[in-house]
Amino acid sequence: MRRLASTAVLALVGTLAACGGASAFRLTSDDNNPERLGEALAQRQLGGGLGAIAGDHHARVFAVVSGTPRKLVAYDLSQGSQAWTVDADVQSRVVVGRDFVAAVEGSDLVVRSQLSGDVRWKAPLPDAFVGLSADEDRVFVVTHTEGGAKATYWLTAYGAGSGETLWKADAPGQLGAPAAQGGLVFSPFVKQWLSVLDARTGAQLTRIRGIDEEISFVRTTSDGTWFGSTDGAFRLDERAASGRRADATYGKVKLPPQLAKATFAPDAYDPVQAGYSASDRVRILWRGDARAEGPLTFVDGGVAVHYFRFVLGYDNAGTLRWAYSHPRVELVASEHLGTVLAAVSQTGELVALDPATGGVRHQAALDVGTGRVLGATFDADGWAPPGPTIESGGTVAALVSIARDRDSRFDQIKELAIAALAKLPDANVTADLLALLDDPRTPTKLKDLVGDVLVARKDPAGLPALLTGLAKRTDYVDGTQASDVGVLARAVGALGETNLDAGARSTAVGALAAHLRAPGTPLTDLVDVIAALGALGGHDAADALRAHLMLYRVDADLGATPEWGAALVAALLRCAGPEGRETLRYVSVEPRTTPSLAALAAAAVKSRN
Amino acid sequence: MSKYVTRKVFAGSGVLAAVWAGALGMAVAQPTAGGPKAAKAAKAAKPAKVDVVAASAALVGTDAKAAAQAATDLGTSDTTAAHEALLNGLAGGLAAGVAEPALAAVAMHPGPADVATLAVYAGHRDADIRIAALTALSAYPAPGARALLVAGLGDAVEPVRAAAIDALVRAKSKAGIDRMIALLGKNEDAAIAGVAALADVDLARKLADQIGKLADAPLAVCLGKILLRADFTTSDDARLQIVTALGKIPASEALAALGDYIEATPPKPPRPSRKEAEAVLSARMGGG
Repeated sequence: MRRLASTAVLALVGTLAACGGASAFRLTSDDNNPERLGEALAQRQLGGGLGAIAGDHHARVFAVVSGTPRKLVAYDLSQGSQAWTVDADVQSRVVVGRDFVAAVEGSDLVVRSQLSGDVRWKAPLPDAFVGLSADEDRVFVVTHTEGGAKATYWLTAYGAGSGETLWKADAPGQLGAPAAQGGLVFSPFVKQWLSVLDARTGAQLTRIRGIDEEISFVRTTSDGTWFGSTDGAFRLDERAASGRRADATYGKVKLPPQLAKATFAPDAYDPVQAGYSASDRVRILWRGDARAEGPLTFVDGGVAVHYFRFVLGYDNAGTLRWAYSHPRVELVASEHLGTVLAAVSQTGELVALDPATGGVRHQAALDVGTGRVLGATFDADGWAPPGPTIESGGTVAALVSIARDRDSRFDQIKELAIAALAKLPDANVTADLLALLDDPRTPTKLKDLVGDVLVARKDPAGLPALLTGLAKRTDYVDGTQASDVGVLARAVGALGETNLDAGARSTAVGALAAHLRAPGTPLTDLVDVIAALGALGGHDAADALRAHLMLYRVDADLGATPEWGAALVAALLRCAGPEGRETLRYVSVEPRTTPSLAALAAAAVKSRN
Repeated sequence: MSKYVTRKVFAGSGVLAAVWAGALGMAVAQPTAGGPKAAKAAKAAKPAKVDVVAASAALVGTDAKAAAQAATDLGTSDTTAAHEALLNGLAGGLAAGVAEPALAAVAMHPGPADVATLAVYAGHRDADIRIAALTALSAYPAPGARALLVAGLGDAVEPVRAAAIDALVRAKSKAGIDRMIALLGKNEDAAIAGVAALADVDLARKLADQIGKLADAPLAVCLGKILLRADFTTSDDARLQIVTALGKIPASEALAALGDYIEATPPKPPRPSRKEAEAVLSARMGGG
């Protein structure tokens, strides 16, 4: 919950009282009036919901590409080809109207033909840029001046045809980047209000005051308008007039803590996010259901999160449903188009994913030359790519790819991927996790997590992969080294709780016993091997443990090591039955046994009598 | 606890050891009772009169010095009781300082049940004990014993590898010779001497083919040692081939080996291998 500090509110009220005037952003306003809001929304002309792309309205994406000068590339998704590319020093996000696109280029507001990219008109920005939006026929720009004792914010409307200034509205408090749709302009105001203005005149029609949550973004889709903060999202409907989460069409998403920085939309008040930025690479891709009653629900039963190179699909309970890993380069822009999730990479690759399964529905190249895509705007709501789902590696492969990624920025996501792999029944997951252990570049923390996951999986289907790992021996001539014996032993030992068939159990015992007998097995691994043999049980395991006990009970080094002795005694009690207890009794009284081991054995025998 | 139960545990463990040896592709079999050479060796040594009962007790007593002496004493006896006492003692666990003489003692009169017990000690965490076990295994011709020695060539500790090499040389066995050659390439002295001691004409030819593939210096030293072996071959052609090979090795060790060969062989009657050695030295040192 984001509450405006009460002292700041009082200060602002005082400021507004001093200003008064005829500005849209007035001191007094009929806030949170559901009738007024309903009337305003009734006059809004939506684009017709999903499937609005038809006739002359093609689905397009507009990408800004680095270089000197930068370029603006228009790609027609409906045609599957580049529409045009022009030199354009774009410094803001690109916004899209009926037949034009607009952006700040250099220090000018520039409007270009959507069909050709030719400049239609340009106008110098009067003040510092905050944000812009467009509806069918108008461009709306927020700027601010700094002069005197305080800043003044301006919302200016321009006609897209000629660039004439249609109206201007000033605000003594901070305005955020606006949104516009169907004859209405939505302007966030000092993080607590969302003003709804008539796009033709600039007159305020109504205003919503957030009572228990700040308002830091507003966005539109072809079927609705949405606003909210980093905590959650509201649908702009009559219920929004309540100003409260509980009484509005409001929803949150459940995501793991590693994805806590993902946001619903760019922060309307952050000057950095007035243009494309790194924050676009950590984004919740969501689509509110525009028709449902009650709390806000998400279409397809969940959301996705775009995290740099990766896109992860989650259901409403916060359970991972699918994963996608883009090869080699980062995705810099993404959008939920209602039908697919679309994203563009640094090198101009476009990919469209199925929101429910993560399946790749479409791939294309925007042909951006040698430059890097800095950001992109989609005008493609409802676009349905042609053709069936393209074969891709699937979720397991994507998660493995994430877990093995070399970029240390993604260590937290790798943890998430490993934890997700733990819950997948795929028989190859164990082998994939073991490959992570084998990789010398895997950080220690991740290796520890992989070990924990392998043990927790208790996956009998993974036993062959575990035994392959245990088969590695240390041999000076061959140049081989046994590795991760402890982790593997613990994972195999955990299978003692499953219904392993006799043959598998016996093979596992043999593999472990080899490391029990190997002279170079480190102590910590040896303890794990002993415990695992105890867990697997059986005469063969018991015999191996008893032989090991007899061999080392008189050894001044190992025989006097407490953790070894404790593990061995416990394992024998667990699996060796009366013969094990008899061996322990003998060891406890035979005078050559090391004293510490004799004491452990005596205590164990006593506890069982 | 009955000694039978204890030995049974070790025998079971020996089966597992056999599975391990099987991983090296070697078939496992228990050794026959000594074999003709072992019997001959046992016959050659005059069996001592040992109080087996007392020695058996001392072997598993708390006096380590006495236990070690008891082990040695039991090894001098050719009785079954003495041998059993040693195996039972090993099966019950013997500490460092006692295990080594016990392992050596067992091998004095090799028996069919020995390899399983020696196998366990061949993997002991104490390197000295592993050395003793591998040394003892040289007395056993069975494939399982050879497999353990071949495996010992890959031990992480160099003296253990050397013991495995020495054991194979003592047994006159070329089992694992490729692994020994690999150690030669890593400049391990024991391997250089071991390969040289085991080499016959075919192996020497194979070594000569390794010029450029193995490190020059140890290869040259090994070939030189082969040349100096009186029992290597009666054929001067074979020695000539080695001299020719040494002539192709650019290392100073090759020249030293040729020089040693010239010094060790009489000038008369003249032999082509010596003459070639002289020619090579003259050319290399004269710069021609």
